[in-house]
Amino acid sequence: MFLKLSLRAVFLGAGGGNDIQWCFSQVKGAVDDDVAEADIISTVEFNHSGELLATGDKGGRVVIFQQEQENKTQTHSRGEYNVYSTFQSHEPEFDYLKSLEIEEKINKIRWLPQKNAAQFLLSTNDKTIKLWKISERDKRPEGYNLKEEDGRYRDPTTVTTLRVPVFRPMDLMVEASPRRIFANAHTYHINSISINSDYETYLSADDLRINLWHLEITDRSFNIVDIKPANMEELTEVITAAEFHPNSCNTFVYSSSKGTIRLCDMRASALCDRHSKLFEEPEDPSNRSFFSEIISSISDVKFSHSGRYMMTRDYLSVKIWDLNMENRPVETYQVHEYLRSKLCSLYENDCIFDKFECCWNGSDSVVMTGSYNNFFRMFDRNTKRDITLEASRENNKPRTVLKPRKVCASGKRKKDEISVDSLDFNKKILHTAWHPKENIIAVATTNNLYIFQDKVN
Amino acid sequence: MEFKLEAHRIVSISLGKIYNSRVQRGGIKLHKNLLVSLVLRSARQVYLSDPCLGGPGVGGPPQPPPAQEQLPGEPAPGWGEPHARDSSMEQDPEPAGAAPEPPALPLALGKRSLEGSPLLRAEAVPEAPRRRVEAAERGGGGGEGALEGPPRARQCCCRRLCCSPHGAPRADCGCRPRPDDGAPPPPVCPRKRSASGAGGGPAGCLASGGSPVKKPRRDSEEQPGDEEEMETGNVANLITIFGSSFSGLLRKSPGGGREDEDGEEEEEEPQRGPEAAEPGPMYCDKPVLRNLNPWSTAIVAF
Repeated sequence: MFLKLSLRAVFLGAGGGNDIQWCFSQVKGAVDDDVAEADIISTVEFNHSGELLATGDKGGRVVIFQQEQENKTQTHSRGEYNVYSTFQSHEPEFDYLKSLEIEEKINKIRWLPQKNAAQFLLSTNDKTIKLWKISERDKRPEGYNLKEEDGRYRDPTTVTTLRVPVFRPMDLMVEASPRRIFANAHTYHINSISINSDYETYLSADDLRINLWHLEITDRSFNIVDIKPANMEELTEVITAAEFHPNSCNTFVYSSSKGTIRLCDMRASALCDRHSKLFEEPEDPSNRSFFSEIISSISDVKFSHSGRYMMTRDYLSVKIWDLNMENRPVETYQVHEYLRSKLCSLYENDCIFDKFECCWNGSDSVVMTGSYNNFFRMFDRNTKRDITLEASRENNKPRTVLKPRKVCASGKRKKDEISVDSLDFNKKILHTAWHPKENIIAVATTNNLYIFQDKVN
Repeated sequence: MEFKLEAHRIVSISLGKIYNSRVQRGGIKLHKNLLVSLVLRSARQVYLSDPCLGGPGVGGPPQPPPAQEQLPGEPAPGWGEPHARDSSMEQDPEPAGAAPEPPALPLALGKRSLEGSPLLRAEAVPEAPRRRVEAAERGGGGGEGALEGPPRARQCCCRRLCCSPHGAPRADCGCRPRPDDGAPPPPVCPRKRSASGAGGGPAGCLASGGSPVKKPRRDSEEQPGDEEEMETGNVANLITIFGSSFSGLLRKSPGGGREDEDGEEEEEEPQRGPEAAEPGPMYCDKPVLRNLNPWSTAIVAF
């Protein structure tokens, strides 16, 4: 008995992608197969405690889910996530000078650490970043002398006695209000925002420039990286993602469309055009094709929680880099290598330009990223095992354990395997998030948000 | 030959993407267009350096170009005229220096292309500095396809039906099989032209034809305010250029369903007026393309 308990403890505590049994928990969003474009989820992010889960969509809306407090009687699962607040963060705009429409799609959401009762997050579209305050109101003043309860003003001459208004409880109301708007600093499309560990500043990155902001100051930002060539005809690469180091407030990285990552130190100079470190893996010449450049473009970069490693995602793989070693990654995981022979088709249908994100689990032992056919992949760095799971409404009984999936690249397809040609490339998982402390993951399909938990039993 | 067909197809797909990106919501996406132009460049280089199509000098390992010839520009002489109508086009002070000419001139240049370099030179000029840098970096351009051979001249072997549609060159073809360094060379920067000051948009592309000799580095002449515009107008120019080239191509070669659609689409645009009026630019390539096009639709993609 003792042995059995200790084994189970090992399983639950390992955090391994394969040792964990992932179960369906919830799915949010319309059941409709006909997806409205505005409902397409464009970003997913847990807050620092994991209690709140925010999503942004193409229609410019932000939806925040809150985890229920754990019910002591319900030991089988952790609290469910329910809608906490919904608000319109960005609206479509039109730049009349350039005759350009500015999409309202939310590109990124980043939470600030909580300092008081209210929650703060940054949300950005292509051009403008906004700081939102989300606060709760659960009481209201009652008993005004000059106002009726319904708000109408009383005739002062009818007032005969005075009373002091008091706060009375009311139904919880969650309000979101924009506290700062950081606009007009980006000529190109913003792809990343990242909050500094000093919790006072943050960076925003577009295709060619990175700006440093102070959260309190909206009319000024400092340009810290500028890779725009004097002659645009000489443009060879763009910035694809940027992030501050989780612990060193002077350090940040940015990735490029050429597959390189540059680490910069803001103490070195005001303009960090010269990197402190350049991370690049030489290309394998045997894999050269027309599309080599495209598939080496990095779509996401994320530091580990420890700050010792960073992970990059390119079209076919996930790479883990040790910050102390620049010439190659320490680990490489193939996400869907079977697509390498299909690059031409994927170029034609634009799938090759899909920007997949990646994420770490709380202990930095497992990494996760999305793929096609609503598959997502996890790689356990310790056991070197990987697993492919599917986000599908077919498995939507709570606590149903997800069955691992397998794609058959070529040759005889075994039972339960799916052949490459029957993959649905319209069903892509670009955005995933892992709870900072627990084994709870949020996986976004086109317009649905799936929440999975490990089996607690 | 198969590489050539695939390259041809990829070029047409890429052009379609660049064209469509103009009407996308949210404006032209720089990253995607950069990647597409890199693919376009690679495919074009493969296409041009394939011995089945090239002239006598093109077979075998790529050779350094003649000294005065700058690097190849647009897909092929036959793919259309240099974008003479685009007066906002960047020019460099190259000896080749053929600035955007008024429409009449391309015809003349087209004729001269039969002798070799000048047409390509004209087309190539905007890219010259980049390519030269690339060549220098690779230690002088003998490298993998950095430099394409002399322009395809009239002595196109395909004119002699040397390369059969079935892909196997005939024994008497004279085209040396190209060692498959198949890997397209590392791309140079995409062909981008700065917009005529006012940013992107089709209207900006076709500013009235400038004088034949164009000042270089229009960028430096722009107001500081202009620099901060999202410089994707040059991508729009690229589309105009390719678009006109393509419609010229398609007028001569009615094969290829997909390409037809693109061509028609482009021809309808009012801005295409000047291009539409241009005389057919192709000489040696017509028969080549006639041979090619029916097959481009029959390509096995992989």
